[in-house]
Amino acid sequence: MVFAHGFGCDQSMWRFVAPAFEASHRVVLFDHVGAGGSDPAAYDPGRHSSLAGYADDVVELLDELDLGPVVFVGHSVSATIGLLAAARRPELFDRLVLVGPSPRYIDDDGYRGGFAAHEIDELLETMDANYLGWSASVAPVIMGNPDRPQLGEELTSSFCRMDPTIARRFARTTFLSDNRADLAGIRTPSLVVQCRDDFIAPVEVGRYIHENLADSEFALIDAVGHCPNLSAPDVLIGVMREYLDP
Amino acid sequence: MTPLGRARSWDSAPVALLRLDGSGAILDANDTFRGWLGDDLSSRDVRGIRLSALLSVGGRIYWETHLAPLLRIEGRVEEIAVELRAGGTPRPVLLSAELHTVEDETDPDDVVVNVALFDARERSRFERELVAARAEAERSAASLRTLLVTTTALARAAGVEGVCAALVHAVVEVYRAGSASVWLVDDVGALTLRARLGDGVPERPSAELVSQAAGAVDADGTERVEQVVVAPDGHVVVPLRGSAALHGVLVIVPRAHPGDDALDHGALVATGQQGGVALDRAVLHEQSVSVAHELQRAMLTERLPQLDHARISTDYRPAERSLQVGGDWYDAFWVDDTTLALTVGDVVGHGLRSATAMGQLRTAVRSCAEGGVGPAGVLGRVDRFVRRSGVGFGSTLVYGELDVPTARFTYACAGHLPPLVTRPGGDAELLWEGRRMPLGVGVAEPEPGAVDLAPGDTLWLYTDGLVERRDRSLHRGLEVFAQAAAGTPGTAGDGELVSSLLGGDLNEFDDACVLRVEWDGPAPA
Repeated sequence: MVFAHGFGCDQSMWRFVAPAFEASHRVVLFDHVGAGGSDPAAYDPGRHSSLAGYADDVVELLDELDLGPVVFVGHSVSATIGLLAAARRPELFDRLVLVGPSPRYIDDDGYRGGFAAHEIDELLETMDANYLGWSASVAPVIMGNPDRPQLGEELTSSFCRMDPTIARRFARTTFLSDNRADLAGIRTPSLVVQCRDDFIAPVEVGRYIHENLADSEFALIDAVGHCPNLSAPDVLIGVMREYLDP
Repeated sequence: MTPLGRARSWDSAPVALLRLDGSGAILDANDTFRGWLGDDLSSRDVRGIRLSALLSVGGRIYWETHLAPLLRIEGRVEEIAVELRAGGTPRPVLLSAELHTVEDETDPDDVVVNVALFDARERSRFERELVAARAEAERSAASLRTLLVTTTALARAAGVEGVCAALVHAVVEVYRAGSASVWLVDDVGALTLRARLGDGVPERPSAELVSQAAGAVDADGTERVEQVVVAPDGHVVVPLRGSAALHGVLVIVPRAHPGDDALDHGALVATGQQGGVALDRAVLHEQSVSVAHELQRAMLTERLPQLDHARISTDYRPAERSLQVGGDWYDAFWVDDTTLALTVGDVVGHGLRSATAMGQLRTAVRSCAEGGVGPAGVLGRVDRFVRRSGVGFGSTLVYGELDVPTARFTYACAGHLPPLVTRPGGDAELLWEGRRMPLGVGVAEPEPGAVDLAPGDTLWLYTDGLVERRDRSLHRGLEVFAQAAAGTPGTAGDGELVSSLLGGDLNEFDDACVLRVEWDGPAPA
C-alpha cells in the first residue's frame, strides 16, 4: 500500500492514517522529488514540469522496489499522479484511493474546477511573500507543540517548506494541468473520497471524476477542508477500510 | 485586572484576535477584526464563517495546502503573509496561529485555533518591492545563463548548417521547447527549412510574422526594432538578423507543460542576434573554405604519371568537423627517364593560407628534384627554400625516388611519418631510415633509406590524419594503420582509399592524404 502526498507538504500528511494499515498491508511512504526529505539532485525541471513526470517517478519507484500490484492512496494532486501512472502501467496497480482529487482546477467551458487562472497567480504571490519570511531563518526551527509532545522534536522546519523555485513550478504543474481526458482510459478500480466541504476540490469535481472514471466508487465523508488525512483521519480510515476490506 | 478589563483589552487590542474551531470556522472575533471587515460584515455576526473564506483566493489555497496541515502537525504557524479580502480594500496581514486541544469539552478530539492578525499594509508594500526586485534579479541571472549556453554552442559551430543545428539544439535544450526549426532566406528570397528538432514543427512561418519579427521599416521611415512574435497558434518567431540583412527566422513551438517557465522573450531576441552574427561568420567561413577547397582540388587533381609495372592511386579528404582544408598534399613526377619521384607533405595549419603554402612547397619540391641529387639532397634544397622564403615553416615531407629498372626505392623524411611497405603475405614494414627535422629547421642531411620492392609489394606514403587520434598513441595508430593497409583490398581506388583505410572511423579534426604504389614490376636485380 503506497501513500502519496499532495501539493504543499510531504509524507507526514499520512502520519495519522498510514499506521492504521500497517497490520494488514506493507505500507510504503515517500516524498515527491522536491518535497520533504527527497534528494534535491533528483529534481529535473524538464521532467517535473508536468504531472506525467511525477507519474513516471511513481512507476519507477514501484518497479525499483518490485511492489506492484499495489493499493495506491493519493491525496490531492497525487490522486491525478496515481491515475496517470495507472494508465501507463495498469499491472502495477490493484486499486486506487483518490482523496480530494481534481482533474482540472481551472474553470473551462461547461466545467467548473473552482478557480480562474489569475487566482493561481495569486497563490504564487502568496507563496513568494512567505518565502521571504522563511528565508530569513537559516537555522532549522523546531516548532514545539505543548499539547502534543509526541510530535515535537522530530519535526524540523522542512515540513511544508520547499525550495521556492521548485514550489512555484509544482504549484503551476498542479493547478494548471488538465487531465480530464486521461480519465477515460483508466480501468483500475478506484475509490473517490470527497470531503463535504472542500474549497480546493469541491463536491461537484469529485462527482465529475467518479462519473468519468470506470469502476469507481464514491464516498462522501463528513469532513471539512482539503486534508481529511489530518483533520478527520478516523473517518478517512473508515471509508478506506470499508472499500478495501468490506 | 478585572474580567471586564480583560474583555475590553481583547476587543480593542491593536491586533485582530480570533478563535477558530478545527475546521477553521470563526468561534469568536474581537472588535478590531470586525472593524477591518467593512460595513457589510462588521455589523454582522461573523461566527461560523471560515477565516480562509475571508482571504484572497491564493491565500485560501495556501491555507488549505500549507497552513491547515502545519497547524495540525506542528501546532502553530507564525508570521504568514496573507491578504484579507472581505470588506472594502484588500488588507495584507501577518497571521500567527496556535492549535490547542480542548480538554474540558465533551469531545476530546475537539480543537481550537487561536489566531492573531497583524495589520501589515506598510510592511507588505515594502516586502512586495523586495520580492519583485529579487524576482527580477533571478530572471536576469537565468537569462544570462541561457545566453551563455547558446553563445557557447554557437561559438563551436563552423558552417551554416552547424550554426542552424546548434540553434535548434540550444533552443530545445535551454528553453525546453517542444520543437524548434531554423528557416533561412535562400538565393531567390524564399524561406527554406535548414534545421529542425522535436516534433510538430509548424509549416513555413507566414511572411507577415517574419516581417513583424524582423522589425520592418514603417511608413514614416523609422525602423522598428526586431522582436519576438507569437503567432495565434502559440508558435514563436525569432528574427535572425545579420549585419547586413535578415538571414531568416528561428521558429519555436513551446512545450505544453504546465510547470514550465514562460519563454524569456528578451533572452530569445538576444539568442536571435547571436544566431545572426554566427550566421554572418559562417557564411564568410564557408566562402573561404570553398576557395581553399577549389585551390587544393585544382592542385591535387593533376594527372599523375602512370607506369607499365605499377599502379599509382591517391586520395585526399578534408577534416570532417571543421570543414577546413588543411595543407596535406601528394605528388608524383618523373625526375628523369627512369626515376619516379613520389612525395607526400603536410603544411602546418588549415585554411586558405595553408592551401597556398602547400601549392608553393609542392612546386618547390618539383623544381628542387633533379637527377643525381638524391632524396636527402632534395630535402636539403627544399629546406633552404623554406628558410629563405618563410613559406611552409615546420611542414613535414617525405620524398622518395623509385628507380624503375631496379625496383629500388630511396627516400628521406623531414619530420614526416615513415613510408610503409606491405607485402602479399600480409607483412608490413615501416621505413624508419633517412630521417631529419621538419622543414625550415636546417640540420645536416641524413643518409637516405632504401628498400627494394618485390612484385606484389605495395608502397604507402600518407599523412597523420590517417594515423593520429586523440584517444591513442602514435605508436598504436601506426600499428592500426599498417594492419589496415596490409588488409586493404586492391580494388579501392582513387577517392576511396582514406575511408577504406579508416573504416567508418573518420578523423574529425584533421585532413588526411595518401599515395599508394602497387608494384608489379620486375624483381630486384
